[in-house]
Amino acid sequence: MANELSTNVNEIIQYIVIRIGDEQYGIDIKYIDNIVRMQQMTRVPQVPEYFKGVINLRGEVLPVLSLRLKMGLSKDEITKDTRIIIIKMEAHEAIGVLVDSVKEVVNLSTAEIERVGFDRGEDRGAYAMGIGKHESGLITLLDMDLVLQGL
Amino acid sequence: MDVSQYLDIFLDESKEHLQNLNTSVLNLEQDPENPETISEIFRAAHTLKGMAGTMGYKRMQTLTHDMENVFSEVREGNLKVNAGMVDVLFRCLDAIEGYVTTIQETSDEGDNDNEPIIKELNAILENKGAAPEEAPAPAAAAAEAAPAAGSTAVSGAWEAMELSEEEQKAMEDAMMANKKIFGVTVFVQENCLLKAARAFLVFKAIEEHGEIIAASPSTQDIEDEKFELEFSLVVATEADLDTILNAVKSVSEIADAKGAPFTGGSAEAEAAPAEEKPAAAPKVEEKKPETTAVAPVKTEVAKKPEKKQEKAAPAKNDGKKTAGKPAVNRTVRVDIEKLDSLMNLVSELIIAKNSLVSTATSAGSTGNSLNEQIEYLESVTTNLHESVMKVRMVPIESVVSKFPRMIRDISKQLNKPMELYMSGEETELDRTVVDEIGDPLMHMLRNSADHGLEMPEERIAKGKPESGSIFLDAYQDGNNVVIEVRDDGNGIDTERVRQKAIERGVMTEEQAYAADDSEIINLLFMPSFSTAKQVSDLSGRGVGLDVVKSKIEALSGEVDVKTKLGEGTTFSIRLPLTLAIIQALMVVVGGEKYAIALSGIQTIENVSPKDIKTVESKEVINLRGTVIPLLRMDHILETQSKRNPGSDMVVVIAKKGDKLAGLVVDELIGQQEIVIKSMGKYMNKCKFISGATILGDGEVALIIDSNALI
Repeated sequence: MANELSTNVNEIIQYIVIRIGDEQYGIDIKYIDNIVRMQQMTRVPQVPEYFKGVINLRGEVLPVLSLRLKMGLSKDEITKDTRIIIIKMEAHEAIGVLVDSVKEVVNLSTAEIERVGFDRGEDRGAYAMGIGKHESGLITLLDMDLVLQGL
Repeated sequence: MDVSQYLDIFLDESKEHLQNLNTSVLNLEQDPENPETISEIFRAAHTLKGMAGTMGYKRMQTLTHDMENVFSEVREGNLKVNAGMVDVLFRCLDAIEGYVTTIQETSDEGDNDNEPIIKELNAILENKGAAPEEAPAPAAAAAEAAPAAGSTAVSGAWEAMELSEEEQKAMEDAMMANKKIFGVTVFVQENCLLKAARAFLVFKAIEEHGEIIAASPSTQDIEDEKFELEFSLVVATEADLDTILNAVKSVSEIADAKGAPFTGGSAEAEAAPAEEKPAAAPKVEEKKPETTAVAPVKTEVAKKPEKKQEKAAPAKNDGKKTAGKPAVNRTVRVDIEKLDSLMNLVSELIIAKNSLVSTATSAGSTGNSLNEQIEYLESVTTNLHESVMKVRMVPIESVVSKFPRMIRDISKQLNKPMELYMSGEETELDRTVVDEIGDPLMHMLRNSADHGLEMPEERIAKGKPESGSIFLDAYQDGNNVVIEVRDDGNGIDTERVRQKAIERGVMTEEQAYAADDSEIINLLFMPSFSTAKQVSDLSGRGVGLDVVKSKIEALSGEVDVKTKLGEGTTFSIRLPLTLAIIQALMVVVGGEKYAIALSGIQTIENVSPKDIKTVESKEVINLRGTVIPLLRMDHILETQSKRNPGSDMVVVIAKKGDKLAGLVVDELIGQQEIVIKSMGKYMNKCKFISGATILGDGEVALIIDSNALI
């Protein structure tokens, strides 16, 4: 992931900006299959707490991950803005990611992305691969591969 | 020619032919003289060669070609089948399988020439005496060798023709005129509509090249269509046999034509077989030997028009054989993925149907017609589901047919005589299941062969027949298929297992002696236990049994062992017929809906809380004399029962083999057909949830695997 950033100097990558608490996070749009509203979820016993359960997405049963709990934040509060982002990556099975809200889509060129040395031990920094600077403020870019690894 | 699009078909068919060959060669070992088996082998080998050639796999073609030569000699009775030869043939089949595997992986046949095997094959041919210098000229050898073997080989019906005096004379006249006399038998295709017309065209075609001296049945009868699928002719001609036969075959709806120099009359009987046989047999499927076969009459350098005919060859099977088999194969090869997508659509349909049912129910439908229509829809979807499931069913034969060969090899390897008896190969299972059970079954058979059966001396000492027996029986039992692997060997020595368990520290001495035999036998399925007991390189009693168990359980099946010391062991595997759609009991626990597979449920009981007893701090109930442990589903599912603790409990009695358990649930919803959906690997940590299903209202309900709970 980190390499992708450094190789192509003027590459423009589209990110979906999501909000968790007061922070903005960006997810590379190419991994996003769909964004759906919060819907009825079935709890699954004996799985880690950050799995909120499973949903029925057009006939497929998909697990839903709470990004908040995975990052060590407080529990999700379900509001009308709550969304489930369906992530499909080659190396992982499809999964839904629960976020507080989805804000916008931004174009970030490589120049606007700063690779910052995050302390991996820090909750919020654990899954970041860079910081995007955009007019709307700073966006923590999530390394989804890292998020889904070892689930 | 771009053949890549045919690669899949080629691979499929090659595997089929290889399996066929393996089975046939095995039969041949048992019954070396059976002409049908030999013909079958020859045909399969020939088709395989033709396919390899068409696809441009030269090495594979060469090897199959040499193998075919051997079979061709065997078929003509010039070679006798013996154990050494069978071994070489098996090695040859393995090598071809190697090619096929390499082709499957890399689309290329690799660069292994398998020369040792080719040499051995040729050595077999040479040992017979009249060896061809190199493989592609088997017919010359055949012709030479033929007089030595005086047995009656299958050939054209012209042999049996008796000529009238007139005809004899005509023949003699023709011979005087330096014409050649051929006997020709023409085979008409089974589905030919106007046989007489075809026969007429055949006559016409032949008469362009020569003269028809005699016919059987008579010309009149042939014209009146008074013949079955073949008729024979005696032809006098200046052309060679090939020209005649090709002329005949060029007539449409003619399946095949066979011929050889005709010597007529019984006076020349001695010479007849010598000339006829080599011509008759190899030519059936391939043209080139024909020309060579003419050699005894007129020395002629054989031209080999094989290249072009190679492709057509497989279609031109022995006419007689074709007549005996169903000519039209009423099957279609379908990609399994297409079936899967069909199955998925059916699943969607069932979900949609369930959703309609629940909408109708919740709307409190007043009209009867809606309910009627829904019921009708229900029956249609159920039938549709069954039909699609049936399409996906394949006989387990495709998996088990390789086992006789395997047992034979093990028998040789261990020097332990044994026989495998199989029954119920036609039993059908879902394709996905069939693909998966091969390995577990192989493990179990090896186990029986290696460790179940005793050495012959030991068996004799015990008064058992010297040769051990292994049985593989498959049968359908309700919604399950049972496959049993049984041997008449020594059985499992539970005492020894007990000792081992103590030795390995799996159990304390106390535990070991308190445990009953079935618990001890179950130890064999424990991974740590089995690997520790590895005895031989083939299999240890226990090696792989844990793998067997986990594989079968992954298919929602069960493994059970019954053994009697000194008498043998029976492993039985019980598998569900279908995996994707099951009948389930819907229950509610803590306000959440769950499904339990109906196949694992014995009964449903209402139990008063005061009937609960405590044994070793576990809750049990005494149900009609059987003590059954209770499982509080709300605890297991990490939720809270919403039922009044004082009221009667709903207990679902689940069974697994001989064991029972009572699952305490809040309430019952009812029986429903559900579509099993996988929840993916993120969610598979929960062992007793085997999947999820989508209910009529779109809600997801989890499926409880009662087997995992017991």
